[in-house]
Amino acid sequence: MGSRTVVGRSHDPCARVIPLRLKVDTDAIDPYVVRLRSFEGMPQPPDNCGFLDAALETADGETALFAGATGNLRVFGVDPSELDGDIVFVVPSRKTAHRLIRASSPHNTLLITERCDQLCVMCSQPPKKQHVNMFPFFETAVLLAPENSTIGLSGGEPTLFKSELFDFLRETMARRHDIDFHILTNAQHFGRADLAELRDLDLSRILWGVPVYSSAGAIHDQIVGKQGAFEQVRKNLSVLCEAGARIELRTVLMKPNAPGLLDLAKFVAVTLPFTDTWAIMQLENIGYGRQNWGSLFFDSSLGFDLVGKALDFAVSRGINTKLYNFPLCTVPADYRVFAPSTISDWKRAYVADCADCDLRTECGGFFEWHPKAHGYGRFGVA
Amino acid sequence: MTVWPLKFRECGDGEFLLTDDTGGFFLSRQPFLERYAAGELSLVDQEFLRGNGHAFGREGDPDWTAFAYRWAQRQASQQELSYVILVPTLRCNLSCGYCQVSRAPETARGFDWTEATLNATLGFIEAMKGPQIKVEFQGGEPLLRIDLLEKVRSFVRTRFPGSQFVVCTNLQRLGNREWAFLDQEDTFVSTSLDGDQDTHQRQRTHDDLATDTFYKNLAEAVKRLGPGKVSALPTIDVDEPPDFGELVGNFERYGVHSIYLRPINHQGFARRRGSHPSSIAKWNTLHSGFIDYLIERNHRTGGFVEEYYFSQCLRRFLRSGADDHVDLRNPNFFASDYIVIDHDGQFYPTDEARMLSRIGRVDLSIGSVAAGIDQAKVQLLNHASFNNFDPDCIHCAYQPFCGTDVVDDLSRNGRIDLARTDTWFCRRHMSIFDKIVEVIRRSDEAARKSVAKWARVPSWGDHMIPVHA
Repeated sequence: MGSRTVVGRSHDPCARVIPLRLKVDTDAIDPYVVRLRSFEGMPQPPDNCGFLDAALETADGETALFAGATGNLRVFGVDPSELDGDIVFVVPSRKTAHRLIRASSPHNTLLITERCDQLCVMCSQPPKKQHVNMFPFFETAVLLAPENSTIGLSGGEPTLFKSELFDFLRETMARRHDIDFHILTNAQHFGRADLAELRDLDLSRILWGVPVYSSAGAIHDQIVGKQGAFEQVRKNLSVLCEAGARIELRTVLMKPNAPGLLDLAKFVAVTLPFTDTWAIMQLENIGYGRQNWGSLFFDSSLGFDLVGKALDFAVSRGINTKLYNFPLCTVPADYRVFAPSTISDWKRAYVADCADCDLRTECGGFFEWHPKAHGYGRFGVA
Repeated sequence: MTVWPLKFRECGDGEFLLTDDTGGFFLSRQPFLERYAAGELSLVDQEFLRGNGHAFGREGDPDWTAFAYRWAQRQASQQELSYVILVPTLRCNLSCGYCQVSRAPETARGFDWTEATLNATLGFIEAMKGPQIKVEFQGGEPLLRIDLLEKVRSFVRTRFPGSQFVVCTNLQRLGNREWAFLDQEDTFVSTSLDGDQDTHQRQRTHDDLATDTFYKNLAEAVKRLGPGKVSALPTIDVDEPPDFGELVGNFERYGVHSIYLRPINHQGFARRRGSHPSSIAKWNTLHSGFIDYLIERNHRTGGFVEEYYFSQCLRRFLRSGADDHVDLRNPNFFASDYIVIDHDGQFYPTDEARMLSRIGRVDLSIGSVAAGIDQAKVQLLNHASFNNFDPDCIHCAYQPFCGTDVVDDLSRNGRIDLARTDTWFCRRHMSIFDKIVEVIRRSDEAARKSVAKWARVPSWGDHMIPVHA
């Protein structure tokens, strides 16, 4: 789901699909944020082409030159028409520009920090110790974002920098009333003391994505690698409820928590009834998820009963329940309506068996980095 | 640990249904009930009650907050006015024995909107907030005043683009102008189809020619407008019910799979026929039999047909938020999200209230388009429009799923302060919820398939009902 725009990462598996990091050359010395305008196919330049825009001057097969108040920026190896409206973070010393917000994509996520206080067994983006404060750049980027965007905020754990995060939200939401946020957080760091600050925000424009893996505290704690995490997330979801926050519960389906999924469904219906969406998500083969694939991947094509019963229960009690990242053919026909295509455009792929599939247009397929031996025992029987 | 109050009802085979005020429920047996009543809950009992949402540790803890949230969700929240039922004429070209609404002969005078009423109605609609509204044309037969319908629709379309229109018509007389009006993207048809041919003719059309015309027009409407655009309701005379097989087959033939079985109403002309005290028992037996019939039929045909109201009640039983049916929600505040404007410009809180007033039983009008909404009267009605504090309802296991119907009580009994169990409304809903508890506990494939469809879940089974031994 929440795609990650990668800042300062050494390995970038996404680069094979749509490049998120561009090779550039610039006269500037300090890092800065700029919006690129190539105006191709546009009747006329938009009227908000302000001092933070760089307009396309010249382009040949290899290079495009953008110029604006922030100086000249030479971008290599990309068709400049694909960059129109993109907001990039330029790091002159590294000769790179990160596409923080791609104008053509509905999936833009800003990585607030790489630090995290949990260590989930399947983490797709294992945490790191160092932290670079990107809030000032992100603030600029959000102010330049296309109209009516939903911006993802992720990590690491964004609420490790809670007061900066609240400041950032307050500032950008006051200046851009059309923009919504989707924030992925482990919800370990809220407290009743945050109620006033939370209520001060327009919470109808923020969806908090919070992982809950099991209704058995010990299993949840084991999955997230933190003692007491379950009790904390329970308490803090309650705080978010009191504040009036919109909540998306996220449950990655794995061998350790699959048997308890029906109990979790009951727990959600009874204890977390304020959940806007409960997303049951198939495992992503990346980061620790790849390392621990053998002990984690749950073949839901064969064991769908566990998923189906949980979904039956939650849906019957009015919980909006979805299956994310499930190839449609692995889901029994009656349940497919709950499995929207959720894998972002830039990281979606299909396998050879998908070539003639009738469901392909509605199916999210696989993550691009999913092994070709996909692990589903019952596949392609749509 | 504190346990929230539980209410119970025996449901057969020694099992009890227990519910709390949020609509949380489970099944258990006599020994548990005795432990609960004696205040001698075991640790296992306590663990179950906590896990199933019936208890909390201390005020403000997550269990307490979740319970408060679920309770609040169980209450229907007041909405903006977004739905108007318009009666541009009371005249009708049919004379059904049970007429639900009262009607005037087609040639009568003084039963249509005047120019002033039309303009005041448009002014009232113009002041609504929007952005989208729903307009239902009732009658009489509203198509007798197609000119008024056209004026209203074109006005609403301009003021609230994307609005919807429903024409409640007997489909007896449709010329080019009427067809052109109906055959529009934003316009829907609702009609009466009383089951089999004989019953329809006996109750509504009275002669072969009129019956044939109706069926021909219904077929044409489904074909021309598409099946999703035409809905139909059967009105059932409990003393002369139609054959279930023919009734369902008739509806399926016209693409209708959700059938709202309505008893002949106690208002309008129907009231004059009187209502025998045993008629509610008869109705309940008939309705329960219809549910059994549908389960058996769906299993046999592999098709899916539901009784609309039963499905609605089933969903209310299982979850909060099923408040879209205006006859069953709690509280059911009047003149909040919808209002009726009669042929003389009077406002009524419901269509039934309009009928009741028309027969002179009690004046339930709540103002007029000329004078505005009479808020004092609305509030008077609203005082009794919820079941939360009713001295009988508070003991009932079905209270959180149920509602109340002031207008029905007035209609049948002339008063609203009866013991609930003596009212038609209560007896009807006790029977429906008993039936729900019966069918969701059935373990046969046929029942499970239908229940799953009706509850709008992929499948149904033992995992769907919490049980505490």
